[in-house]
Amino acid sequence: MTLRMAEAEAEGTARVPALRILRSALRSAWRRSAGLGLALYALALGGALGLASADWATRGGYPFGGVTVGAWTLWPRAGSTAADPYTRAVNARRGEIPLAVGEGLLMTAAADDAGRTLDAACTYSITGATPPARAWTLTVTGRGAADPVRPPIRESFTSTEVLRERDGRFAITLGPEAEPGNWLPSPRAEGPLRLALRLYDTPVAASAGSLDRDSVPAITRVACRS
Amino acid sequence: MNLRFAYATACGLVLAGLVHIATVLAIPRLSESDALSRAGSSESLDHPLPIYTLATGENPAPAEAWLPAPDPSVAVGVCAYDLDDGPTRVSARTGPLALSLAVHGRRGAFYAVTDQAAVRGALDLVVLTRAQYDAALANDDENEPSRDVRIVAPERQGFVVVRVIAGLPSQRPSANAAVQAVSCTIDSTDEDAPARPND
Repeated sequence: MTLRMAEAEAEGTARVPALRILRSALRSAWRRSAGLGLALYALALGGALGLASADWATRGGYPFGGVTVGAWTLWPRAGSTAADPYTRAVNARRGEIPLAVGEGLLMTAAADDAGRTLDAACTYSITGATPPARAWTLTVTGRGAADPVRPPIRESFTSTEVLRERDGRFAITLGPEAEPGNWLPSPRAEGPLRLALRLYDTPVAASAGSLDRDSVPAITRVACRS
Repeated sequence: MNLRFAYATACGLVLAGLVHIATVLAIPRLSESDALSRAGSSESLDHPLPIYTLATGENPAPAEAWLPAPDPSVAVGVCAYDLDDGPTRVSARTGPLALSLAVHGRRGAFYAVTDQAAVRGALDLVVLTRAQYDAALANDDENEPSRDVRIVAPERQGFVVVRVIAGLPSQRPSANAAVQAVSCTIDSTDEDAPARPND
C-alpha cells in the first residue's frame, strides 16, 4: 500500500513536469511565431515603403540639384557625370537625354515671379533678357496628352525669330487669346503650364549660382479669365 | 508586446531606407527605357539614328521620338558606340546652323563640343579607350599631327548625341539633313589589324 502510494506520487510528480514542459513549449512556439510575424511585418514594411518612396522620388521632374534664380530653376548638372543618383534615375526612367555642360543649359519655370502656379487660363508676360548664349529657345508645355481640338499654332520661340525691342530685350505674351507681338498660345484650355528655356552654347552652366534676377526673363501675370 | 512592435517598425523603417537607396542606384542599371538602351539599335548605322526630327510643312514630328519634352526647334540624332569594336569616329561638317556633339556614358555626358571648335569647317571626334588612345598616340606621324579631338571614354558603351538648332521654321529641313550628314564610323588605328568592314 505504501509502496503503491509512493509509486502514484512519483507518477504524479512525473506527469506534472511533463504538462509544464508541454505548456512552456507551446508558449515559446507562440512567442516564436509572434516573433516571425513581427519579422515578416518589418520586411513587408521595409520593402513596400522603400520601393514606393523610390518610385515617388524618381517620378516626374528632378527632385533636387537645381539653382533657383527668380521664377526660374536652372539645372546645370542634370546631364553631367557629376549628377546625383536621383537625377540619373529620373533620366533613365524617362529616357531623357539631358544637355551636357558644354552644350547648353536647361531652365524651367512652373510659377510666376509672385510664386503663383502658371495657369493656362491666365495671360502672362515674359519680359527681359536671357543670360548670354549663342541661341536660346523658350518652350511651353502643359500636363498630359495634347488637346486634339486645339491645333498647335506655336509652342516655342527661338532667339532668332523673337521680335525684340531696340535695346535687345524682348516681351513674349503667353495666354489663351491672340495678342500682337510675340504671342505664345497656351497649349491647353486649363491646367498648369511649364516653361522651359534652353540656352545653347552658353558659359552660364559653369557659374549658375552667380546669376541674378535681372539676367533671367521676368514672368508677370497680366490677367486671368474667370 | 508594444515595445517589440515598435522595435519591428523601427527595423522596417531602416530596411525601407536601405531598399530606397538600393532601388534608386539600381534604376539606371536596370532600366530598359533609358537613352543608352534605346540608342543601342543605332550601333550598326553609319549615320546618327534620328530620334527627334523637326516638323516641316505638313509632316509633323514623328511619334517614335522618345524624348519626354523635346525642344521643337532642335533636331536630335544619336550614334551608339561599343569601343570593343574599335574607336568610334564622329565627323561633322559645319554649316550655317549651330551644331553640337555630346558624348554620353552610362553615368552621364562626359564631353561636349560645338561647331565653334571646328578646324577648317570639319569637326572630327574620336572616342576611344585608354589602350586605344595610347595606340593612336604611338601611331601618330610626327610630321603630320592629327587634327582629331580624342576623347578617352570611361566606359566601353555609350552614345554620341548630335543636336542641330533651327532658329527659323524654314531652317528645319536643313537641320534634319545636317543631323543625317554627320557620320559615325569605326576607326581602325592599328595598321596591322584587318580593317573592320564599316557596313
